[in-house]
Amino acid sequence: MKLITVLKQVPDAEARIRAGSGGVDLDGVTFVIDGMDEYGVEEAIRLREAGNDVEIVALALGPARYEEAIRTALALGADRAIHVETDTDLDPISQARVLAQVVQHEGADMVLVGGKQADWDSAALGPALAEVLGWPHSDWTTKLELAGANVTVEHDTDDGHESLTMPLPAVITTQQGLNEPRYPTLPNIMKAKRKELAKRSLDEFGAGSGLTQIVDQQIQTRERLGKMVEGDPATAAAELVRLLQNEAKVL
Amino acid sequence: MIGFELSDDQKQIQALARNFVKDNVTPVAAQHDRDETYPATVVEAAHEVGLLNVSVPEAVGGLGLSMLDEAIIGEEFGYGCMGIYTILMASELGIMPLLLAATPEQQQRFLAPLVEGPRLAAFALSEPNNGSDAGGLRTRAVFDGDEIVITGTKTWISNGGVADFSVVFASFDPALKHKGTVAVVVESDRPGLSTNKLHGKLGQRASPTYEMVFDDVRVPISNMLGQQGDGFKIAMRTLDKTRIPVAAGAVGVLRRALDESSKYANEREAFGRPIGQFQAIQFKLANMKIALETARLQTWYAAWLADNDKPHAEAAAIAKAYASDSAFDAAQEAINVFGGYGYMNEYPVEKLMRDVKLNQIYEGTNEIQRVVIARHVLQ
Repeated sequence: MKLITVLKQVPDAEARIRAGSGGVDLDGVTFVIDGMDEYGVEEAIRLREAGNDVEIVALALGPARYEEAIRTALALGADRAIHVETDTDLDPISQARVLAQVVQHEGADMVLVGGKQADWDSAALGPALAEVLGWPHSDWTTKLELAGANVTVEHDTDDGHESLTMPLPAVITTQQGLNEPRYPTLPNIMKAKRKELAKRSLDEFGAGSGLTQIVDQQIQTRERLGKMVEGDPATAAAELVRLLQNEAKVL
Repeated sequence: MIGFELSDDQKQIQALARNFVKDNVTPVAAQHDRDETYPATVVEAAHEVGLLNVSVPEAVGGLGLSMLDEAIIGEEFGYGCMGIYTILMASELGIMPLLLAATPEQQQRFLAPLVEGPRLAAFALSEPNNGSDAGGLRTRAVFDGDEIVITGTKTWISNGGVADFSVVFASFDPALKHKGTVAVVVESDRPGLSTNKLHGKLGQRASPTYEMVFDDVRVPISNMLGQQGDGFKIAMRTLDKTRIPVAAGAVGVLRRALDESSKYANEREAFGRPIGQFQAIQFKLANMKIALETARLQTWYAAWLADNDKPHAEAAAIAKAYASDSAFDAAQEAINVFGGYGYMNEYPVEKLMRDVKLNQIYEGTNEIQRVVIARHVLQ
């Protein structure tokens, strides 16, 4: 069976990001494999370690620098990788249309992708991919088991979680709680050099320039009132309730 | 051509080392420092991910990483705990004489086991009455048929009592001075060898340091590296390389001193504003940054020379002396930035100073480094 793990490369969560009127300045920022996607890579490796006969293909759509994140996936245990290289920023729907073509061409049985992409905080890619492929999907998955031609999952809902079963092929979006990703070991980092990393051009997929264009970016700033409520606790609490009811109108 | 970009592999190695240190080293560093305990679980975990004994050649099952790779790893470990890094570094130091002078059979016999488990090597040169004057060894090696009999005492031996083997330097003919020395691999289970852990170090207290007593310890002559008379030469050629990781660890300490100081300077307020807005503090931070960038460049340059088989003794001496001196200065300035808190072991900066003091001393004191540098200048 063939598993495809879709991954992105995003700024390190600990990196200092500079933002100005022209948008986010990524110059000099350290990039890493998106942590949400790493759960998918780890899960694919665990499915193999559990005795399933699987081939793991890492798939990424993005600029040349993504290669480092792809190498990380190969060092973690992916067997080979496909990199659709482009400097064009595509919206999630357009990305899904490109990625779906690769997934179909590969004849994959399952796609694992992060529940959310840490760069633009979008959670659309996984569901969009399922939509394009016409496959069932489970988002925010925290537990996954193969059962013959089906996959059984648990995923988070607003109030708890639910269990689902669905036929393969399927799209699974991953998140914290599904597993604890391992480190790529040094021997595997060295071995990853020799693994296949196929480069594809975005032009092959007729993506154009995407469905949406970013025309402006602004940094959100919040003015704070800085109002201090004074007096003994009972009086202060009463005043706070009055302010929340009458001025902020949130109660 | 000059290139300053790390390769993809090196970036991955750096990321692995950084994540490993953040999760496994930094959280336990203060405790091992206070208790003077050996961090066995860290050494095991480092072995698991392949960060232990990285210089063991591919031919005998290792990774055969370069000196630059080792410097990249060393900086990350130095950032988390210089004492814990010394355990890994001293093992590479014990491996280096075998890389330089062992036969393929000896490499197979001694180095292959080092990648199979969390095992360590050690390098036994210093003696109670003999440090910098490495030609004046008092440990004796007597050739007896197909055996070598070793008698004497070694001290300040990192990993001495926890290593699988030590490379021991001894004299078979004191009259010949340097040319009367040999390098011999001594396995730790040889009868007559006893080790005593030394207590009371100022810093690097996670790293176990030993006195090793050799009382008629017999090893087969097949444990000798190179020829009779090669001992001193092997020791010096080893140290010309292994001073680079000492520098790299100091670069890590320096980076930590700067990170901790700049974080504190942004948080701590005095006279109504963060202390980082005062030039008195800014100048300290700027000086640390100047030292960090230059120390790392010199360390990587020395590593690059070593990896390309170019003369590197002087560059390694400059890196070792400069990185450790400036890391010590940065650590003690970090204490000044923290004020009273910096003097307490509740905060991480006093440990940096205690730890990196040793980088100025071991593998050739910084005075000896300057002798090496001056010798090259005057040539």
